[in-house]
Amino acid sequence: MKIACIIPAYNEEKNIVTAIQEVQPFVDEVVVVDDGSSDQSASLAQAAGATVLRHIINRGQGAALRTGTQYALETGADIIIHFDADNQFHAEEIPSLLEPLRHQEADAVLGSRFLEKRSQLPWDKRYIIMPLARLVNRLFFGVRLSDPQSGFRALSRKTASQIQITNDGMAHCSEILYQLFKYRQRIKEVPITVTYHHYGQKFSGGLKIISDLIIQKIIK
Amino acid sequence: MLQQILALIVIIFFVGRLFQQKKKKQINRQELSLWLIFWILAAAAIIFIHRIDQLVARLGFSGTAINILVYLVIIALIYQVFRLRLTLARLERDLSQINQHLTLRNK
Repeated sequence: MKIACIIPAYNEEKNIVTAIQEVQPFVDEVVVVDDGSSDQSASLAQAAGATVLRHIINRGQGAALRTGTQYALETGADIIIHFDADNQFHAEEIPSLLEPLRHQEADAVLGSRFLEKRSQLPWDKRYIIMPLARLVNRLFFGVRLSDPQSGFRALSRKTASQIQITNDGMAHCSEILYQLFKYRQRIKEVPITVTYHHYGQKFSGGLKIISDLIIQKIIK
Repeated sequence: MLQQILALIVIIFFVGRLFQQKKKKQINRQELSLWLIFWILAAAAIIFIHRIDQLVARLGFSGTAINILVYLVIIALIYQVFRLRLTLARLERDLSQINQHLTLRNK
């Protein structure tokens, strides 16, 4: 069973090597999608032993994940993991995401920051932004999950080929969840730990996600 | 009256520019027609401003014709901005597809 881990990276030269080294023991191939970085992310990732795909221009995390997932499918991956380059996720939690897929108990396993209170989320994210995002997902997409915006997930080959990421930016998270529900995939959430090195998505980012989702729906 | 004449002069200036642009092939026939219709409607609104005033009053609006025209123009502008946003989103999507194609082909 071939396991590929996709790591989108944009100007992540400070973190990318650590991220790759931490992930490598748990997967067969680490695929770094360098999303038009102007720093040394790509060369460092290559030297660290990752397969590097280079976007000639910056297109966003969703676009990078789409490229990486497509590559993984073309090269015969059976399980595809989406992971972040900024060392917020803990690679040692990858086996707990893989377990339900290996035992064919789920088609998609999603990391959740809310199942156990391991992650130290900023209070406004925990009590305002995330509950609002959860509400938007529930009302507009019928998605009922504890974590509305987790980027740490593992997909079976069949599920990854079914899902079409059309949002280039951060809206891909909601889009993936929506499609998982739409195609009636078996979803399992597992607790993950997220260590915040920076604030990340702000409230304005949340509004942009909603507007991107609406625009994509119209132009489809 | 003076304001109406001034407004019409401005419109004539822009219509003249429009034909110049067409002559230099900076715009196509379709764009020329679209803008020509826009300026003709604007000129008609200025010439018949008092009639529109009466019509607006008869329809029960408290504002004058010029207010209603401004509101309509704002709505039209918002719609155009929205259309532009959709066009940009389509272009961005195409750009990403080309980018992905090139990335995977060069691997």
